[in-house]
Amino acid sequence: MTTTARTVIYGASEDDCRFYQSSVEKHGSPLLLFDSSKLKQQYRSLQQALPNVDLFYAIKALPQIDVLKVIDELDAGFDVASSGELDILLGLKVGGRRTIHTHPIKSDKDIRDALRFGSTTFVIDNLDELKKLQPYRGRIGILLRVSFRSENAKVDLSKKFGCTEDEVANIIFQAEQLGLHIKGLSFHVGSQVETSDKHVAAIQSCRDMMLELNQKAKAPLSILDIGGGFPGNYALQSIDIMKFCQPIRDALASLPEDWHIYAEPGRYLIAPAVTCVTTIIGKSMRYGMPWYYLDDGVYGSFSGKIFDHAEYPLQVLKEGETSPSVLAGPTCDSIDIIDEQIELPELKIGDFIIGHQMGAYTAATRTRFNLLKEAKFIVL
Amino acid sequence: MKYFKETLYDAICQEFRVDKMYFEQKTDHQHLMIFHNAMLGRVMTLDGIVQTTEADEFMYHEMLTHVPILAHGAVKKLLIIGGGDGGILREVLKHDAIDVTQVEIDKAVIDMAVEYLPKHSDSAYDNPRANIIIDDGMAFVKDCSEKFDVIIVDGTDPIGPGEVLFTEDFYAHCKNCLNEDGVIVTQNGVPFLQIEEVKNTHQRLGQHFTDATFYTVAVPTYYGGLMTLAWASNNVELRQVSLEILEQRFKEAKLNTRYYNPAIHLASFALPQYIVNQLD
Ligand SMILES: Cc1ncc(COP(=O)(O)O)c(C=O)c1O
Repeated sequence: MTTTARTVIYGASEDDCRFYQSSVEKHGSPLLLFDSSKLKQQYRSLQQALPNVDLFYAIKALPQIDVLKVIDELDAGFDVASSGELDILLGLKVGGRRTIHTHPIKSDKDIRDALRFGSTTFVIDNLDELKKLQPYRGRIGILLRVSFRSENAKVDLSKKFGCTEDEVANIIFQAEQLGLHIKGLSFHVGSQVETSDKHVAAIQSCRDMMLELNQKAKAPLSILDIGGGFPGNYALQSIDIMKFCQPIRDALASLPEDWHIYAEPGRYLIAPAVTCVTTIIGKSMRYGMPWYYLDDGVYGSFSGKIFDHAEYPLQVLKEGETSPSVLAGPTCDSIDIIDEQIELPELKIGDFIIGHQMGAYTAATRTRFNLLKEAKFIVL
Repeated sequence: MKYFKETLYDAICQEFRVDKMYFEQKTDHQHLMIFHNAMLGRVMTLDGIVQTTEADEFMYHEMLTHVPILAHGAVKKLLIIGGGDGGILREVLKHDAIDVTQVEIDKAVIDMAVEYLPKHSDSAYDNPRANIIIDDGMAFVKDCSEKFDVIIVDGTDPIGPGEVLFTEDFYAHCKNCLNEDGVIVTQNGVPFLQIEEVKNTHQRLGQHFTDATFYTVAVPTYYGGLMTLAWASNNVELRQVSLEILEQRFKEAKLNTRYYNPAIHLASFALPQYIVNQLD
């Protein structure tokens, strides 16, 4: 895994300083500040970049009720992976027809919970999973997930899930034998990909497979779900999503017009909409370097450093001469280090470290280790 | 403007305009709504599925009630499992000689129906002949020492809280609470779209009753054509009662019905071949 260099911002406008200061005075520290207008903006940009694609927000990226409310307002769909995620949607009165259940491996209870909720689209990638759905065959529609490995994705999601292209025809055939309808294919090229090449290649393979299958299949395959993977902006160099998606649009243009295209974006939508505010609660000199201990770390909001291989852009509000420093989290474990070699000006206890692009796979994967207080989620 | 979209099937769905929301409740794992629709009157939905509407409930409730009662001819004690909206109870109480026990798992459903769907129960819950018990239907029939002439199971979709009412265990316990000549009828879904339910129920009832079959009613808002009502008894003659006798009983009962009549009673046991094919 190549780790991208971290982006660090030194200094901040007076307005920003005052804003972070007053947020902490009001709500305490650490904080996750959610800017819903940013989420809306991201959604609209992706919609423009992928016209005629139905977007289903991947709840797993940040299953926060305030976030889901905004997605609901936008009239977007929801990509659900568990009964727990369905429960949150139930509270929001989101209708089942706006959801797809995308976890390739499910228990019977998961399936029944989803059906009861009204979620009737399921994803499978093997024959055992197919058989689990047989009792419900009259009610459901199935997407078959195909694996396309991606070396340059930060998170390769085709290692664990997805059948090979060679298996597709047989699974479709077996499904027909069991009276089950596979209505399309899906894939996930991996999260945080640098270019859309993999999407394009996968779209083309799926198109070819579907066209061929449709010559023989009893009921045609008509849905292609192109998954997620759309990048977060960790380098803070503006991402041109129109440009990123241009090859995808071109590839999609070659599909029959009556097919339905889905996508399951998580990261692109939510990453930039959340900013983390942490406070230095302790400092020391170790091995000739200043160590700063923060009130949030890799067991908390920075958990994506471990699980998601993410290096979030950080901001110190001060400027000044810098030296290599260490930023550590608050737990007693030594893995709880956010950065071992970061150029920082001299900082004091009480100073803030701001984490940007911290919406996706951050709070979603945090733990309760040490029973530290989790960062408060604040809707701006 | 709000719309309700039914979520039973992936490839198709019916949609109702919500003209006025009377009641909406999201409890643990459950979503209940009662709203008004210009064409259907009040509509009750549970977990995205239409349960009943004021416009067409009479078809379902009359057929689930009067067919077993008039087929039997001498019902004194009748058990309703479920049926919280009160429609079945209302129909049963039209028969003067019958004492009814109704077992509903959730009192809130009855209260809510009385308040927001008052035409369904039509004050039936105030009738002294009705003995209302709040209990799990499965637990009730398991421990029950009484015997009934008719059991009417008015449950929900098999995926959800009503699941246990579709099990073989449940049917076995019901048999133990039935008199020798008794009959059990149950709501059994729309077979054109849910053929598995016909197969499963027939197989399960067949383990405990010598005569297990279905009769049908077409309820417009139970989308998909005919609905099957399961019928099981150890007395096959119950569904061979002649038209004359049914007509006589119908007259004596002085029933005021809108769907049920003796001719449709007899005809409803005639099954289309796609259903018959599932019964072997
Ligand atoms: C099935 C599925 N869909 C969608 C996503 C969201 O991906 P991304 O955040 O890259 O858009 C994931 C991420 O793990 C996933 O597993």
